[in-house]
Amino acid sequence: MSDALEIRDLHVRFHTRRGLYRALNGVNLRLARGEVLGIAGESGCGKTTMGLGVMSLLPRNASYPQGQVVFDNKDLVNLPREYSEQVGDRFSPKQNERILRRVSKAMAPIRGRRISMVFQEPMTSLNPVLPIGFQVGESIYVHDPAQLARRVLARSKATPELTRELVSLLAATHGDETSVRKFAAEHDLAGIEEQALFVWSRGDIHISRKEKAIRALSGQPMNFVERWIIDTVVRARSIPWYLSRIPILSRIVRRVLMREGNRKARELLTSLGIHHAERVVRMFPHELSGGMRQRVVIAIALANNPEIVIMDEPTSAVDVTVQAQILELVKRIRTSVSASFIVISHDLAVLAEVCDRIAIMYAGRIVEVAPTDEILHKPLHPYTQMLISAIPTLEGKPVEGIQGDVPDMRAVPSGCAFHPRCPFAFEKCREVIPTDLPHGSDQLVACWLYEGK
Amino acid sequence: MMIAAYGLSKFFPIRGAFRSTASLKAVDDVGLKIQNEQVVGLVGESGSGKSTVGRCLIRLLNPTDGEVLFDIPDSELAEYEKARAAAATERLDAIADRFSLLRRSSSELRPLRRLANIVFQDPYSSLNPRMRLADIISEPMLSTQFCSRAEAGIRARELLHEVGLPGFFEDRYPHELSGGQRQRVAIARAISTNPKLLILDEPTSALDVSVQAQILNLLRGLQQKYGISMLLITHNIAVVAYLAEYVYVMYAGKIMEWGDKRKVLRDPQHPYTKALMSSVPVIGETMTRTVLRGDPPNLVVPPLACRFHPRCPVAFEVCGWSADEVVEDLEYLLAGKYYGTFGDGVHVATEGDRTIVVQGTTDAQRISELVAREQEEIRSLKGIKAVDVTADATLIRLHEPIEPDMYPSTDGREVKCLLFRTGALVPAATL
Repeated sequence: MSDALEIRDLHVRFHTRRGLYRALNGVNLRLARGEVLGIAGESGCGKTTMGLGVMSLLPRNASYPQGQVVFDNKDLVNLPREYSEQVGDRFSPKQNERILRRVSKAMAPIRGRRISMVFQEPMTSLNPVLPIGFQVGESIYVHDPAQLARRVLARSKATPELTRELVSLLAATHGDETSVRKFAAEHDLAGIEEQALFVWSRGDIHISRKEKAIRALSGQPMNFVERWIIDTVVRARSIPWYLSRIPILSRIVRRVLMREGNRKARELLTSLGIHHAERVVRMFPHELSGGMRQRVVIAIALANNPEIVIMDEPTSAVDVTVQAQILELVKRIRTSVSASFIVISHDLAVLAEVCDRIAIMYAGRIVEVAPTDEILHKPLHPYTQMLISAIPTLEGKPVEGIQGDVPDMRAVPSGCAFHPRCPFAFEKCREVIPTDLPHGSDQLVACWLYEGK
Repeated sequence: MMIAAYGLSKFFPIRGAFRSTASLKAVDDVGLKIQNEQVVGLVGESGSGKSTVGRCLIRLLNPTDGEVLFDIPDSELAEYEKARAAAATERLDAIADRFSLLRRSSSELRPLRRLANIVFQDPYSSLNPRMRLADIISEPMLSTQFCSRAEAGIRARELLHEVGLPGFFEDRYPHELSGGQRQRVAIARAISTNPKLLILDEPTSALDVSVQAQILNLLRGLQQKYGISMLLITHNIAVVAYLAEYVYVMYAGKIMEWGDKRKVLRDPQHPYTKALMSSVPVIGETMTRTVLRGDPPNLVVPPLACRFHPRCPVAFEVCGWSADEVVEDLEYLLAGKYYGTFGDGVHVATEGDRTIVVQGTTDAQRISELVAREQEEIRSLKGIKAVDVTADATLIRLHEPIEPDMYPSTDGREVKCLLFRTGALVPAATL
């Protein structure tokens, strides 16, 4: 099976007034399907830049002089790379902005829908003046309106007899996903299966309540304008221009679909373990606690069943007990959702818990990638070793800091960027940038110490 | 004893439209002691009041209530505790007048400020960007008249060396420094007047792990060299494990457990400490953890009795269940999980503080069964004492809550949990 995402030799530079900031200097990374990959490193090593770079969300002063981000056999960064190859040193943020706008357009069907991101600090990534339900619903409305339309349509088409059949099917198969999907396809009710399965999987309500709720999924009343709109959106798989541009129509479209978005938001939040979701969707971000906000942001990222979810520091804004809740949640969704995850964090212990593989970043490069166990117990790169020995433990074992500071990315040291702080550095380290050397079957380390071993 | 606090409370008034209408009980009845040359850790989640305790101890904030005795000989302290136990007010006042920080005027405090100092959390905002490092470090020496200006300059240079920075840094400004270097400067400033007590308020939480390790080693070195007593306030339990000898665990403004570090961290007794320890991710360990439900409570209207009971996995009858908490869970059960049994038309409401009325059913039998079946999972149901029937409704009576105290555990620590009350009415099943 091919990889979900491949990053090849990615370079990112920021053109600032105080010089060229080399944020990424050749990142190579593969994300397998269904895998959870952790990215660890100190602040300023380029973890977040990499996440944003994959999403093409970097600001206009960022250039991509080299490298590719391959997703679904397409290179996501070829336009800005071509631009920066073309202009070289005469980089102009204004022109780059034009290019990035084109990239944004090209990314529209991917961003938020097939690759989504959980941003750092939920308080700043949620809009303080909009209710939660609106914000979750909107992410579906913007990226995949047909999904909402299908749900409404299925409810209006479903007859009481069909939903009763659905209930007995669920009871007979104990909520088997494939048979429910088949049932929905057979009866031309695509969109009802997720609603029925959601109700069925709820643990907090009585079975008779569930049956009642599933039976209530039938006979959604609709006037003929709404029906026409919904039909059109389902058929076009998006909102056609005449529905989004004509003032009165666009308002109806928005109203009908956002109402459904709110409904879906309630389902999503409930499945992420928020009680009283019907109350929460009407609240504003400031009314929620840190853990709830984090769940809301995760709900937004999962709303469109993406193939890749990038989580940027999902637990660094919350307390340790809430962090435990979020970690358990991430562990649960990774089994229930068929997505690959990239988890970015400065806390190795957090990554150790949820990840299959961990990549260590230093000064805009990946210095070591290995399965979680290998990297924690047999770290190869001196930086990884020192990083792990710097983490204080509950046993109070002696910790050792790494001498010196993170290098200034405006003047990255020659050769291996870690050599000024590395106790094992020798001549070659100062001159030649180490390549990724394979070690064992699945470990890569960028360090000359392991050359020829 | 370096410092000892008794019944320390800090309530912040919440402003209403015209007058303050309520108060946020940030710190409530906290007792804390630090021996000479001892490092004590204070851990807790954000909002638990740990920073407020630190500031109240050295009177950067004035506590609402309580007593703080500073640098008191152990004999006098024993005397004080005896007097406190006997509630001998005169004797208490006599000792407190000599040692209390709270009874000093601000001019009397000034020389004492030499002896106690603080390092703040964020080195980016605690250093004045318009002052040179030499001036930053000299400032406490000059303001407490520790030494003359000329001596202060020389000492500032020495201190820079002491914390591992080159002497030529004295002419630099804070913006030229990295986070770790700034925190070193903040430490140099704090130790400039040879204090006996240092309050470290989250000294490493703004730093990367590799730099954090450097700072921790620096602090440990200084502690061993000068024998400074330290109060280490942090949310990072591993940092406490590295530096401290004793640990206090705080939750929602109260101390939940305190004792020897090794005992508290390895074998926590209080249910909150247990959950806290199991929440800490440890490298190379997959563990079964107790995940706490919900969030820390609102401290304007704190939970009755034990403040942890709404989230506690082993809370029992008298932990402080209020009628509102029980109503919420009952409603959820009757209208959700047991909808099939009770159907529509059941309405649950409070009547007074300790009774609940369930309208629409008189089936006390069923409700008792349901309570018995669900109470291990939904702890608030444990608060139900009796289910009675009236003409057209069911009446539920609740247990009276008991306020927990600090109870001594077997191995010399103290735990604020009713499970540890000696001779308690604890049913064996909950232990």
